[in-house]
Amino acid sequence: MTSMLLSPPDLAKYPFTKESRDYIKGLDLKVDELVDPDFVEALNRAEQRVQEALRGGEVKWGSERYYEIEILSYPIAIMLVASIDDDFLGRRYALAEAKRAYSFFREERDSKRLLEIAGSAFDWRAEGLASNANQSYDYALHFVDYLRNASKIRSDPWKLVNRLVINGMVFLNKDEFARLLSEEVQKHVHSTITSSPKINLPPLILQRIARITQILAERREKMRVEELPEKTMITAYPSCIKRLYDALLTGRHLSHIGRFSLTSFLVNVGVSTEELIRVYTSVSDFDERLTRYQTEHIAGKKGSGIKYIPPNCDTLKTHGLCPEPDEVCRTIRNPLSYYRTKARLISRGNTDAERA
Amino acid sequence: MLNVRETGVNFIERKFAEYYAETLEPISPISSFTQREFGFIPFTEKIMIRHRGFTGPEELKTFITSITPAHAYYSAAYYKNPEAPMAKKGWLGSDLIFDIDSDHIQTPCNNEHDYWICADCNIGTTRPLQGNCPSCGSGKLRSEFWLCETCLELAKAEILKLLDFLIADFGFQQREIVTCFSGHRGYHVHVDEEEVKSLDQAARKEIVDYLLGTGLNIEFHGLKKTNRTAEWLSMGPTLSDSGWRGRIAKGVYDLLLSSTLQQLEDLEGFTKNTAKRVIKNRDRILEGGGKSASWGLVKGVGPKTLKILAMNGAKKQTSIIDPVVTMDIHRLIRIPHSLHGKTGLKVVTIPFNSLEKFDPLKEAVAFPEGRLDVSVTEAPAFRLGNEVFGPYRHERVELPMAAGIYLLCKRAAKDARIPS
Repeated sequence: MTSMLLSPPDLAKYPFTKESRDYIKGLDLKVDELVDPDFVEALNRAEQRVQEALRGGEVKWGSERYYEIEILSYPIAIMLVASIDDDFLGRRYALAEAKRAYSFFREERDSKRLLEIAGSAFDWRAEGLASNANQSYDYALHFVDYLRNASKIRSDPWKLVNRLVINGMVFLNKDEFARLLSEEVQKHVHSTITSSPKINLPPLILQRIARITQILAERREKMRVEELPEKTMITAYPSCIKRLYDALLTGRHLSHIGRFSLTSFLVNVGVSTEELIRVYTSVSDFDERLTRYQTEHIAGKKGSGIKYIPPNCDTLKTHGLCPEPDEVCRTIRNPLSYYRTKARLISRGNTDAERA
Repeated sequence: MLNVRETGVNFIERKFAEYYAETLEPISPISSFTQREFGFIPFTEKIMIRHRGFTGPEELKTFITSITPAHAYYSAAYYKNPEAPMAKKGWLGSDLIFDIDSDHIQTPCNNEHDYWICADCNIGTTRPLQGNCPSCGSGKLRSEFWLCETCLELAKAEILKLLDFLIADFGFQQREIVTCFSGHRGYHVHVDEEEVKSLDQAARKEIVDYLLGTGLNIEFHGLKKTNRTAEWLSMGPTLSDSGWRGRIAKGVYDLLLSSTLQQLEDLEGFTKNTAKRVIKNRDRILEGGGKSASWGLVKGVGPKTLKILAMNGAKKQTSIIDPVVTMDIHRLIRIPHSLHGKTGLKVVTIPFNSLEKFDPLKEAVAFPEGRLDVSVTEAPAFRLGNEVFGPYRHERVELPMAAGIYLLCKRAAKDARIPS
């Protein structure tokens, strides 16, 4: 799997590969050299990458002609994001790069190409399957590599128990393989960001960072104001739900039960599924269709038609999701009753609420 | 020693000390020894001594003989600093481990050997008085497993299913898998293989769900809707399939061959008529799933019926492991060749090929020599070695050493005396 020959356009598409990293290393660039006018284009594109991630949630394909700029802009963008050192930005950028890679993966005609990338960039143990007419699988992937990436995707077809698993290998079609590979890209980009060393940057670059920070703040404000359910009384949320909501907004990974608790709570206090899906997909999710299905399922619009309510406090405690119970918590057994009690207290006036 | 009576605990502790001092084999074949955490439960206190690390088997043996624990454990996990407090240990990875306990399995004999130990007076009983201890009247009775051949055989059957999963589906080699009898009510399986060490909790949960069939959806295994009904089912699972597909086919086979009309009627979602139609068409359904995969071609047995059959068949193909143990990436587990303080039996590793004929009640005996005179309060019948003992009730009996120690460990007997 070492004989991969990636052309410059390939390196531009897949800047996280070893080949691409080697290529950049070969240029032997120093941070101070980046202020040289020769690099303005690369810096522009790097800044644009981060802005695309913040605004649209997906990094786009840059100029077709200037592969070198596209390649070079990737490590610079990582440097920009890393120096801002913001959890939300880091996660959002990683997701946006992964989405970009996913669309390229899907376009690859030659099934060997994905195999080469997976092997050389991430040491996946995978095999291509000879194609024949009634074959519904294109790849076999070692179950450890599969689980490392698929266990985060919460839906039935991705559960290991619903896959064909033979002799340590999980069978996948091309699209599934591409999807898992982009999960790996997301993790890789994120860990590159978090493990980047702190460096002193020249003023010209600091200006760009200031611009990104500005957009980040706007973006975050917009999410809080617009996408947060204004009509519900946020001040009446119990601390467990507030904490989950904050975790979601900063793009952190919620456990299955955490996500279920938050969704069922919000749905029950009157947040529409549309609003919820917007919040989820803008911060943490890859697949809007899946998010929609899960959210509508909890809201009772799909599947059994049952509208779910959040788990009781006991269950939340068991799962470590009850961080700081307060006075009101002592009187209730479910986050929803907390909301009703607290909302009543608040509407009666702050003095009452404090006494309670 | 002649005629000197000792309390049960003192006696067991002394015999355990002898065992550890005399046993010549290195205490255990544990890999990456220095990266493991060790833990011990002494006889006298109920608090675990943990966060211990050792340079090698010799140092471990020295320590064990100096404290003589009732229970001895090591971590399935590897740490940078095994002796540091939990948060500072530096987790490096963990073996993949499985625990199959007979108390997780429904057995036909459960109430034949129900047994409780009183938390207050520490005496065992087979018949509580209205839920209370017959000796001291305390209400704090905890149920205890009583060595039982049937229960242990059923646990072994689950182990055999587990090993099939591990080899056929997960592709592990026989040499990477170590199976142990736990010395009490079940078996442990360790997979010591580089690849699995890094698996996180979520990934281990997926393996657990795979083995327990949790979240299994037949539609992803061939019984799936396509536009034409015949085709819908003609892709169904067959006996020659691998993975869960093959298991589902096998499960339906077993279910149909072993069920009576009544048992089929009792399946959730079945009516009397469906059950009758299934029985009438039994051979043709079996033919379909077995050879031609043409599940859809049996008249009167529709997709819904087949799905119920498949789900119920699948249930019996699962391996009833304890999910908590496998998902816990910091788990402590018994050290092979150490003694189990609740039985006096030893944890034995079982060579792969002898698992089927392995007899835990014989091969785990740690004290094969000598005899012991004990005063039994209450004890259901049990077998150890080639002999069956009991039931006993308020009597003094002379037993082979291992059986005497077993009763002492179970708090079913006291006043140990070596007969003259």
